[in-house]
This record gives sequence, structure tokens and C-alpha cells, in this order.
Amino acid sequence: MTQQTWDEVGGLLPHDEFRAASEAIVANIEQVIEGKTATVRLALAVLLAEGHLLIEDVPGVGKTKLAKALARSIDCTVRRIQFTPDLLPSDVTGVSVYNQETHDFEFRPGAVFANLVVGDEINRASPKTQSALLECMEERQVTVDGVTYQLQTPFMVIATQNPIEMEGTYPLPEAQRDRFTARIAMGYPDSNAELAMLDGHGATDPLHELRAVSDAAIVRQLIATVRQVHVADAVKQYAIDLVTATREAPDLRLGASPRATLQLLRTARAVAALEGRDYVLPDDLQALAVPVLAHRIIPTADAQLARRTTDAIVSELVHRLPLPHDRQRNPYDTRPPATGNGRAPYEPRRP
Amino acid sequence: MISSRNIGMVAAAATLLAAAPLSAIFQGWTWLIESIIAVAVVAGVAALTRLARAPLWGQVLGMLAGLMLALTWLFPSGQELFAILPTPGTFAYFGDLLAGSMQDMRSYGVEVPDTDPLLFIAVLGVGAVAVLVDVLAVGLRRPALAGLPMLAIYSVPVAVYVDSVPAVPFVVGAAGYLWLLVTDNVDRVRRFGRRFTGDGRDVDVWEASPLASAGRRLAAVGVALAVMLPLAVPGMTGGLLDSLSQGPGNGTGNGSGSGGTSGRIDLFASLAGQLNQSQVADLVKVKTSEQSPFYLRYAVADELRPTGFQARNPSGRSVNKDLPNPADRAGPGVQQATYQATVEVTKSLSMSLMPVYAEPTRADDLSDNWLYDANQQVVFSNRENSRGRKYSFDYVRSTFTQDALRAAKPLPTEHPVRRQMTATPGPVSEVEELVKGLIQGKRTDYDKVLAIYRHFSADNGFSYRLSTESGSSGQDIVNFLTNKVGYCQQYAAAMAWLVRSAGIPARVAFGFTNGSKRDGDTFTLTNLNLHAWTEVYFDGAGWVPFDATPAYGVPGSTRSAWAPDTDAPEAPSPNSSATSTPTDPGASTGPEGPDNSDRDTDDGLSLGGTTPNEQPPVWPWWAAGLVALLVLLAVPALRRMALRRRRSGRAASVAMASATVDGGSEPGARPVVVTADANRARADAHAAWAELLDTLVDFRVPVDPTETPRATADRLVRDALDDDDAIGSARLLGRAEERARYARDPLTGERLLPALRAVRAALATRADRRTRLLAAVLPPSVLLRWRTTMADRSSRMVALTGQARYRLLRWNPRRLLADRAAR
Repeated sequence: MTQQTWDEVGGLLPHDEFRAASEAIVANIEQVIEGKTATVRLALAVLLAEGHLLIEDVPGVGKTKLAKALARSIDCTVRRIQFTPDLLPSDVTGVSVYNQETHDFEFRPGAVFANLVVGDEINRASPKTQSALLECMEERQVTVDGVTYQLQTPFMVIATQNPIEMEGTYPLPEAQRDRFTARIAMGYPDSNAELAMLDGHGATDPLHELRAVSDAAIVRQLIATVRQVHVADAVKQYAIDLVTATREAPDLRLGASPRATLQLLRTARAVAALEGRDYVLPDDLQALAVPVLAHRIIPTADAQLARRTTDAIVSELVHRLPLPHDRQRNPYDTRPPATGNGRAPYEPRRP
Repeated sequence: MISSRNIGMVAAAATLLAAAPLSAIFQGWTWLIESIIAVAVVAGVAALTRLARAPLWGQVLGMLAGLMLALTWLFPSGQELFAILPTPGTFAYFGDLLAGSMQDMRSYGVEVPDTDPLLFIAVLGVGAVAVLVDVLAVGLRRPALAGLPMLAIYSVPVAVYVDSVPAVPFVVGAAGYLWLLVTDNVDRVRRFGRRFTGDGRDVDVWEASPLASAGRRLAAVGVALAVMLPLAVPGMTGGLLDSLSQGPGNGTGNGSGSGGTSGRIDLFASLAGQLNQSQVADLVKVKTSEQSPFYLRYAVADELRPTGFQARNPSGRSVNKDLPNPADRAGPGVQQATYQATVEVTKSLSMSLMPVYAEPTRADDLSDNWLYDANQQVVFSNRENSRGRKYSFDYVRSTFTQDALRAAKPLPTEHPVRRQMTATPGPVSEVEELVKGLIQGKRTDYDKVLAIYRHFSADNGFSYRLSTESGSSGQDIVNFLTNKVGYCQQYAAAMAWLVRSAGIPARVAFGFTNGSKRDGDTFTLTNLNLHAWTEVYFDGAGWVPFDATPAYGVPGSTRSAWAPDTDAPEAPSPNSSATSTPTDPGASTGPEGPDNSDRDTDDGLSLGGTTPNEQPPVWPWWAAGLVALLVLLAVPALRRMALRRRRSGRAASVAMASATVDGGSEPGARPVVVTADANRARADAHAAWAELLDTLVDFRVPVDPTETPRATADRLVRDALDDDDAIGSARLLGRAEERARYARDPLTGERLLPALRAVRAALATRADRRTRLLAAVLPPSVLLRWRTTMADRSSRMVALTGQARYRLLRWNPRRLLADRAAR
């Protein structure tokens, strides 16, 4: 297994090739998932942002199908883990077994040793097993018996889950939720899409006919290109404002982490690149605020009693937060820049 | 229990503070000590009765009994049991004191001495107010009502002082009242239990209640209203004294004395103010049986201070009592005749003095409130004023021969009149030298006076002019003696000063000349006839008037035999008065007598030289005001136009600059140009976007600060625009701003100005007429920005004051006390 450090991504792709490659992936997935362009693009954006994707919805709306379609569209190693209540951490990370021939322990890699890991029904496994994902998702490495094994690039966990109100589910720990870049909901297809689905899926599963349109090398190049997308200071400030707002919102017990800020900007870069821009707009952040932030935060008991979902709270924050005033500063102006949006310095909220 | 005791004590203290205005009435402070005793007794009894849980009526009875005991002890009649228990004899004595107080109130002017009757009524009043305040504030818990009895105390000096009442005692009383209110409300708020702020924080013990700031604000508004409202109401000014107090000198004695002088008028200042007025108002109509009367007097300034001559507070007894008869001064060479005069004061003259001829012997139609000062020979009142009064009186006119005056012996040095009326505030060397030169070789007092009197003649270069500076202090006298130009004020004061320097009693009298409007035996006197002259005291003859002012300057000027006009072409025979009959008492009218009296007023005016009679036309002011108003109204529109021009200038330059970039084919120079161009393009896009936002505000399209340029443009396209050109323009503007803000390279080469125009035109066609008009005349964007700036400033100021207040609060005594208590 060729170990590759995370920073060794491919070279840059020119604008046209980037567009062609990304459009090809999206179009490929859309053969399976009809009428969900935005969701598909978001899933791709998470891949290009070097993040992990959590697809949460009720059963039967195509979560696993989206995950598998994305995996099959890219010609790379794909592993699938079915999270069941009796799954063990070693099933995920791998285990050292005693080799009779060599009289030595030998490492059997687990399911995470792949470019794309599809974790199905992730919240049906116990938190103990889910915790096995913590290291690999954030640090892209696995440590078993004191030996650390690097994972490959690209590495992406695509997990599906049912809402936690469903039977037989465990809630994901906050630490693990925070490692998922975005949580997307599939939603029911509209009637036209459902009709097309009936036509297309009636006889055969289109997933089987799906061909890979890209490979790991191209994805690495795509990732490298996304990293070059320009983010103006004003946009960074806006991202910070957004995250700070979640930390200060009275409805929230736990706000978004600095990791969330980082991933918000990365995803925004990817979305901007997918739209053919080489700069990030506040619009991207506004569109991504709910998918990227909503699953990390915990509402207060009052807000829960009032049946306010985190999605609603975050989108309300977005609609209330003014854009930072982002006139370009005079280079000779040595005054310190105005901090934040004029509010009191942030004081961490005790969860 | 503790709190009500606390309020009771505060009520007592507030009563005492509210009694502060009485200090303006009494000379001494005995009243205060006795009031403190009475109020303390009342408060103590109240506290005791409340301790015994007596009902309210019991408290009242107890307090009244306590007050009675205190009064009995303070004003003993000698018949009490154990010095404090009243007997019927005590009450009879109290009745006597009350009657006596009525008597004293009439006979004494302010400030009154400490007589027992007056002290009794003062202490009784303060004690009664203390009872009332205690009942209202503690018993009924209506401390606001307690202000009424407190105000009753304040009304006493208001009734006594006609013109103005000292402000400081009122402030003291008001502070006491506020203290009472604050104490009650603090107690009331504490009864709610724990105090807290809006953000859920507990309020420390030392902190003021959060409600207090609202209260303070209300109080400030109330005080401001109370001060401003009377200023806005017309008709409360216009009397003589009011207008005088705005005259050149301040009406309150230049602050040289303590509280006692505050009620006085600066007679000189009032005189100058009246003489300099451009409007002529009839002040007095006088009808007399005398053929050619001397001046009508109303006041005397006989106290010479470093600041000049000032009026002493007159004192005397009622005019309706027997007035001193000057007949006892009759002697050889002194002729006396009795005349009758009727004076009618118009509404324009309002003062506490009443003009009379010297010296009145009997007065009719005047109430007991009018008193006569035999020494100053003036009629005055501490309660009423002269406005609109009509009265008649008998008076004795004394005329003297020069020989009779010459025969008068100099007063002995220890004579009270001489001691008082020759006092000068320190020797002024010029005056001393002048007087020494003038009286050299003169043996009698009269000759000395006459020499001084003659010094002020035209031969010596003295002339009359109204426009000199007023004043009668030592420095002003020297100036006048050097410049030799002045009017009656300086002549009278200077002569009196010189005569005093010669050791002869002298004072300055104020009154009216005979004026220029004579109809038979009726004289109509105006403010221009106000006059001042000198009076010199001769033993046996009394006060003898001398008018040193040049006769040509004074309409209706009158000269007497003993003081002939020094400027007359031919001096009258010194003995002419000896042969004159009583009906013609030696008073000869001046060279400009009643014949050419019509001209006199004009003369006086032209001599004054500063007061043209014609009113300037008013319309230029209206026109100027209208123009100013229009300019003011046009300011927002002009500001908007200037903004638009500046931004258009930027937007227009972008096309030019990008053209140069496109034209520049040399590759080496290009990067530099491009950076400059990028910055400029960015600025231009920002300018265009700012202009677009302002336009939106102007046309009342909502602007959301949370929206990105792209979202704003999309919303515009969706909601406000239907023209393809405008839609494209709006998107272009949004894209340009978006690129300028967030992209590496801004959009260049686009024509933003036409796009802006297109959007504006599209918005204008959609807007209704009123919105269009407002956008052109009073652009909401400019107004909004100004309003925001103002709000920002004020909030910043509030924040700063809040910080400062918090810092100050660290040294709040309440906090320090609370800390100490906690420790």
C-alpha cells in the first residue's frame, strides 16, 4: 500500500478541465439520483473540500444510493461498512492477528483503509464502535497496537444515518459529529423526479451500470485546485462572524468549533470552484451555513422544548447577521482593523 | 418602622430647608434656632407617637401639643407651669404676639429685626408646616403633597419682595423637597424586595436603583420646562423695574453686600436705562396747585460705596399715620407753603416707590402698606407697587434765601447725619485736590457748596451728553471730572461726592423734572423726564436741592434762587428770591422753559444721539429668514447631489482608465498599470454600489445589510425592476461590486455609470410621485445617514458617560459604606 502524505496532492487543473471533470462526476451521479442536483453538488464539494459527509434522512430516500453512486463515479478504492449494533472497533480500523507462518503479528487493515468509505446506518452501531472513526476522520491515520498507519488521499467517509428519533439508533457523539464536514438531507424527490425514478429503476438498478468517470489522481488535482480559490478578508471575517454568532446565540448550548470555521471555508472554496469561480462569496457561506454548522451545535433545553431545530436556528442567524463592511483598506492606513461586528469579545459558553 | 422613622426625620429636615427663604426677611438668625427647636420637638413627638403605634389623628394631636409646648417654652409670658405648660395667660400672650406681629409687619421693611412677635409668627408657621409635612409624608405617604406647605413658606418672601426674590434659599428649599421625595421613593422601591436590572443582574446595595435614571431624566425635563415656560409666556415683563434690570447696570446692587442688597434697585442704572430708551412712555401724570413746582422725587441714594451711590433700604411707618411736619424748621429766610398734588401713575411704571413732592405731610388713597421714610423723604412699600395708582397728598415746599443758608452753622462732627452723609469710600486724590481748590477761602457751608455747584458750569467746559458711560463710582467720578461730559447721573453724583469731600452731608435724589408737556396745572412726565440731582443738608434748613446738570440738557429743568443756573446768560440777582411771594417761591424756570418745550424732547434725544426714532423695516429680516429656511431645506438635496457627482466622477473614470490599460501594449509597463487600475476599478465599483444603495433608499426599496451584492441584485431584478436594460444593469452592478469585494481581480472595463442611470430611471418610473419628489428634495438616504450618525454619536456619548459613571461609582460613599458593612 503506497503511503502518501496528505499534502501530496496533484497539480493544478486549468479552469476548463476542472469544470469538465467536476461536471462529469455530477452528471454521472445524477443518472442514479434524479432531481437532486444541489445535494449531489454539495456531496462532491465535501469530497473536494477534503471533508466527510453525513447524509441524514428517513429511510428509503436514497442515502445509500447517493453514497454508492459517488463512490462508483470515481475510480478508487471503496469500502463499505454496515454499522450494526454488534460491530466492533477493530472491524473498522483493522486488527493485528498472529501469523502462524511468520510467528509474528500481522496487521489486517480494517474497512477505513480506502479512498472512499461508505458507512451505512452509522448511528446503529454503539458509540464505542463509532469512536473508532474519530482518529481516521480527523488525522487520516489509524493507530493499532501502537503502530500508526497513514490513510490515502483522497479519503472520505460518507455516512448515512436515520434521524435519532428513529428506533434502534444511538446519537453520534459530539466529537464525531464535529468531524463530519457537512450533514445533508436528501429530502423526498418531487413528483417528476419520482416518475423518472420509477421509469429508470423499474427494471434494473442503474447503479450497476454506473461507470467511473474519474479517478483518485484527478480528484487529487481537483482538491489542489480548490485549495487555490481566493478567499477575501471580508469573507473570512464573515465566516468568523457566523461561527461566533452560533457561540453567542441564546438558543444554543454549544456553538460551532474552530474546526467548523475551517471546514466552512474549505467547503465554500469547493462550492465556488464548482460554480466556476476562483473566489469565494458570502453567498457560498450563507448557502453552506446550515449543512456545515447545523449538525455540530446543540440547542438549549428551551429551544428543544420549543421544537426549534438547529437548522432553523442557523438559518435565522444567517438572516440576522450583517455582512462585514469590506471596503478595501488603504495600504497606508495603519489603524487596527475594526474587530468583529462591534459586539463584546467572545466569551466561551459553557455547554 | 425604621424606614418611617427615617422619612419622618427627612421630613423634618426638609421643612427646615424649606424655611431657608425666611433668611431673606430676618436680619438675624434667631428664627432659625427657634425653628429648629420647634421642628425637632414636632419630629420627636411624631416619632414617639409612631413608636407607640398611635393612629394618625393621635400623631397629629401629639405633634400639635409638642409644638404648643415648644412655643410656650420659646416665648415665655411668665405665667407657665414649670416653664413649659401653657396657661390661659400664655394664650393671651400669644394673642398679643399675633397682634403685635401684624403691627410689626406693617411697620418694618425687610430685613426685619428679631422682634418677639415676628419670631413667634415665624416659628409658629414653620412648626405648623412641619406638622403638615410630617402628616402628609409619613402619615399619608403622599410626600409630593408636602411641597404645598413648603411652598407656603416660600411665598412669604415673594409677598414681601416686590421685584425679585433671592434664588439661593429657594434652591435650598427645593433640595429639601427633592430629598424628601427621593427618600420616600427609595423606600418604596426597596419594598419590592430585591432590586434587579433588566439583564437579570442583582443590584448592589450601594447602587442607585435602575429606575433612578428614568426619574432623573424626567426631573431634568421638568425643571427645564419650568424654567423655559415662563420665559415663553408674554406679559410677565414690561414694568419699569423689569426693563431696568436689563439695563446697563445690574439691578441687584452689584453683589457687594450679603443677601440684604438683593432686593434693591440700582437707581443709577435704571435712570440711564430709561433715558436711553428710544420709546417715550408716559409714566406719571401730576396735578399740583403749585405754580412752578420743583422736581417730583421718588428715591434717594445716600450710601456711598466704592461702587458708587446706592440706595439704602428705606424704613418708616405708614403714610396714613402722622407725617413729620417740616414747619418746625421754619426760620428767618425760610419760606414754607403748603400745596396739594394729585399723582396718577400709569401702567408703565411699576416700582415699590411712589413719586411725591418734598415734603409730604398727608396722603390720601394709599393703603397702610405704603410707608414713609422721614429721613429719605420717600414713600415706599415692601408689598405693593406703584403701577396704575392714583393718589393725592399735601406737601410743604420750603424755599430758602441765600443768606438763610449762609447762616446755617456747620454740623458738629458727631452729628449722625454728618457722620453718615459725608462718608466717602476712601479719599480719591483728584477729588480731594479739586475740592480743596474750590472751597479755599469760603467760610460758610453754603458758599462752599455754591463754589462746587458753580464748578460744573459751561465756563469750566462741562457739557451734557447722554451717551457717556454710566456709573458713579470713584473711578467714574474722576473720569467725569476730567472729561467734563455727562448727564444728570454724573452731575448729581459728582456734586454729591465733592460736597461730601468738603465735609458737608449730601446725597443724590431721583425723580422727574417738570417735563415738557404741561397742560394748565397738570404735568405729564415721561421716561425722558427722569432726573437725578443733589441734595445738601444744612442745619436748620434740612435737605436743600441743587441741580448741577446743565439746564439745556434737561427738559423742564428748574432752578432755585439758592442755586441759580450757572450757564444762564445773565445771572439772576442773588437777592431776587428774597422778594418773591409764597405763591412764586423763588423757583425760576430755566432758559428753555415750557415755551419751547416741544423741542426739548428732541434735544434730549439728539444729544443722546444713539436712538433713532424710526423703526428699521422688517421685511428684509423675513426675506433673509425665508432664504435661510430654503437653504436649510435644500441642504440634504445638495448633499445628495454632491455625493452623486463624486461617485459619478469615479465611475466615469473607470472606463477611461480601462481604456488606457487596453491601449497599453507594452508588456513591461502593464503590471504596474494593472494594479493601479485594479484599485481604481475596485473603488469605482464600490462607489457605484454605494450610489445604487442610496438610490434604493431614496426610492424606498428596502436594503438589507445581511444581503450580499448578488442577493441584492437578484432581489432587485425579482421585485423592483421589469425593464430588461435595467435588469442587466442591476446584475452588472451587483457583479462588479461582488468582484470588487471578494475576487482577486475586480471587473474592469464595464460601463457602470450608464447602468446606474438605467436602474435609477427604472426605479423612478415605478415609484409614485410622492416618493420621487422626496427622493429629489429630501433624499431619505442623506437624512438616514445623518440620523444614524447622530444616533451613533449620542450612543457613544452615553457609553462614555456610563463608563465614567461606573468609574465614579467606585468612589460612591454608599458603596464604600456597604463594603465596610460587609467587612
